[in-house]
Amino acid sequence: MQPTLEQKQKSQTNIKSKKPKIPFKQKEQLQGYMFVAPWIIGFVVFLAGPLLFSLYGSFTNFNITSTMDFIGLDNYKRMFTNDNIIWISLGNTLYYVVISVPLTTAGAILLAVLLNQGIRGMRVFRTIYYLPAVLSGVGVYLLWMQLLSPSSGLVNTLLSWVGIEGPSWLADPAWTKPALILMKMWSVGGGMLLYLASLQSVSPSLYEAAEIDGASAFQKFRHITLPMITPVIFFDIVTSTIGAFQIFQEGYVMSKSGDGGPANSLVFFNLHMWNKAFEVFDMGYAMAMSWILFIIILVLTVINLKLAPRWVHYEGEDQK
Amino acid sequence: MKKPRKALMSLFLLVLSIALILSGCSSKESNGQNGNGPEKGGKVVVDFWTFWGSEIRRPVIEKIISDFNKSQDRIEVKHTYLPWGDIWTKNLASIAAGNPADLIINDINSVSTRAKNAQNTNLAKYIAKDPELKNRFYPELYKATLYKGDPYALPFNTDTRLLFYNKDMFKEAGLDPNSPPKTWAELEEYGKKLDVKKGKKYTRIGYLPNYGIASDVWMITADGKGYWDFKAKKPIINDPKNVEALTWVKNYYDSYGDKVINSFKAEFGEETADPFVAGKLAMTTDAATFYTKIRDYGKDINFGVAPLPEMQPGSGHTSWGGGFAAEIPKGAKHPKEAFEFLKYLTDVQAQQYWAEKNFDNVANKKASENASKSKDFTDDGKMVYSAAVDNMKQTLLTPTPLEAPDYTNLINPELDAVLLGKKSPKEGLDAAQKAVKKLVKSNK
Repeated sequence: MQPTLEQKQKSQTNIKSKKPKIPFKQKEQLQGYMFVAPWIIGFVVFLAGPLLFSLYGSFTNFNITSTMDFIGLDNYKRMFTNDNIIWISLGNTLYYVVISVPLTTAGAILLAVLLNQGIRGMRVFRTIYYLPAVLSGVGVYLLWMQLLSPSSGLVNTLLSWVGIEGPSWLADPAWTKPALILMKMWSVGGGMLLYLASLQSVSPSLYEAAEIDGASAFQKFRHITLPMITPVIFFDIVTSTIGAFQIFQEGYVMSKSGDGGPANSLVFFNLHMWNKAFEVFDMGYAMAMSWILFIIILVLTVINLKLAPRWVHYEGEDQK
Repeated sequence: MKKPRKALMSLFLLVLSIALILSGCSSKESNGQNGNGPEKGGKVVVDFWTFWGSEIRRPVIEKIISDFNKSQDRIEVKHTYLPWGDIWTKNLASIAAGNPADLIINDINSVSTRAKNAQNTNLAKYIAKDPELKNRFYPELYKATLYKGDPYALPFNTDTRLLFYNKDMFKEAGLDPNSPPKTWAELEEYGKKLDVKKGKKYTRIGYLPNYGIASDVWMITADGKGYWDFKAKKPIINDPKNVEALTWVKNYYDSYGDKVINSFKAEFGEETADPFVAGKLAMTTDAATFYTKIRDYGKDINFGVAPLPEMQPGSGHTSWGGGFAAEIPKGAKHPKEAFEFLKYLTDVQAQQYWAEKNFDNVANKKASENASKSKDFTDDGKMVYSAAVDNMKQTLLTPTPLEAPDYTNLINPELDAVLLGKKSPKEGLDAAQKAVKKLVKSNK
């Protein structure tokens, strides 16, 4: 009997090995690959090719139709020696990033904290503040151009009620970028939603413990709320910095004939790049510009990531 | 170790098959396009791209096309409408892909830039068979289509800037309604007389030099030259006449001040409400087609039209124009047939039809003259149209210099800075001249 049983077992394992049962860990791996497959395929097919092409193109005088000669670092050299507008555009973009990212982040946190109070009708307020984030793009810019109209716009009319003579906003180079930032502040609802979600996941027991110790509302905010939501703040700052560097539409739509005027005050890096690419079809140069922007954003993001451990608090992680 | 490799293998196969499906789709699509291509019932199909899709322009161009198709039995022209925002990029992409249109309407000022970049077809050998052909156009327009002496397009339509003035307001202000201002000094003098103020607020402004046209046109009028010396191949942005002209515009602008002008412009920022049509501006400078606004939205405006006033008596009334040309993209499949249609498109009949139906200036001289007497126009229409036709002899085009295709991007911000008072006219134009010179150097 013994041998037959052994044989049976053997044949069973034989059957098993013919129809292989994948160990759990490998199965999980495979499932993982399957889930990311659409993105990998999308990246390889639609992004990696164009990316590599633009990297190569940045070393050529590519003009879409007739020329694509390798010219080495000429495009990059021209940027540093012969293009004044690129520096103006970089200055404008930095101005916009430096002012708008902290302001919109702070605005979103403030709004989220306000909308996290247990007051009646809170859902209505949340909807109202989130609404602008739903509306976006050219329609909103056109709307704001009317709101910011120097003499008949709503903004200056409101200012005049409190005795302030409003600036001419989009007509005055000194005020065009503040006007854009003001407009961006209007749509902080998107960021607010993230903060609201993270605020609600802060454990009430922390607040209770602090209350027993006699902490004030501000102390609770400063020592519990803020540290607990730092991961989201970090995420928001990184993504909105990247987004802010890529500002284009606003300058294109809100300046006369899309030239980034008046007096170059709305020429952002991407707008200048677009002009080079699609107005004079100096594609090689535009591609080189896009790689410079990529490097700038990469460096800043790396700095952000390096600085993160100093202030971002992950729950359940050991403090360093 | 074998199994995960197998998993990767199957993943790779999946990627490959999806990639194949995707590429399969795209090749099918391009096959489809080729299918539309060459022949249809024994006729050669000419694909003609325009951006004329509006309810006014589209029927006009399509009537011209169908007239041509009926007039012969070898060529069938097919109209493809592409939106204004897409047409140039699509054109270049299709040239790069080797599958362009047979004929396209494109900007007349950049014909030579495209010729230099091998994006359109040299028409010299077709024109050689028909040496009289070029004489049908205004010389200034034909000149704009030349690259190294050869034409790379034929002009289609054009425009020119004129002075429109309200005769009733002239009478009211004690001015002779039949003698519009002839010089800048007169323009300014009349303008001030035509101002109407209620308290501190202007309810009517006589004239604004930076409305409808910008200071660049006044710099052209001053000396009959643009920003570029095509013979010497260099910018002449800061020549003394330009500085003088910009100073005049700036002083005129300042006599009202930012606040007045901004609030005035804000009120009439939109195209629908023009201050001249609304009776808030007594004189305005605009393209001849501005008449259609007076015709369609104005209520019995008693107006006159005149050439742009000249800087000093005798310095000339040079105006500024632009327009569109039709060209055969490089690599077009049926250039011969496309040229056949191009000849028809620029001939008297088609051009006159376009002129009358659109109230648009056309490139064909004979068609323009016929149109100015057209039965389709009212007396006002005839007056404006013939003034525009007359003005063509003193209308300058500003083709894009090959050496600095985006030079206006460097000049306009300086003009802004001057009007905003951040720089003097001389400083602004000097800075623009320097920047454009630098651009020319870097493009070499």
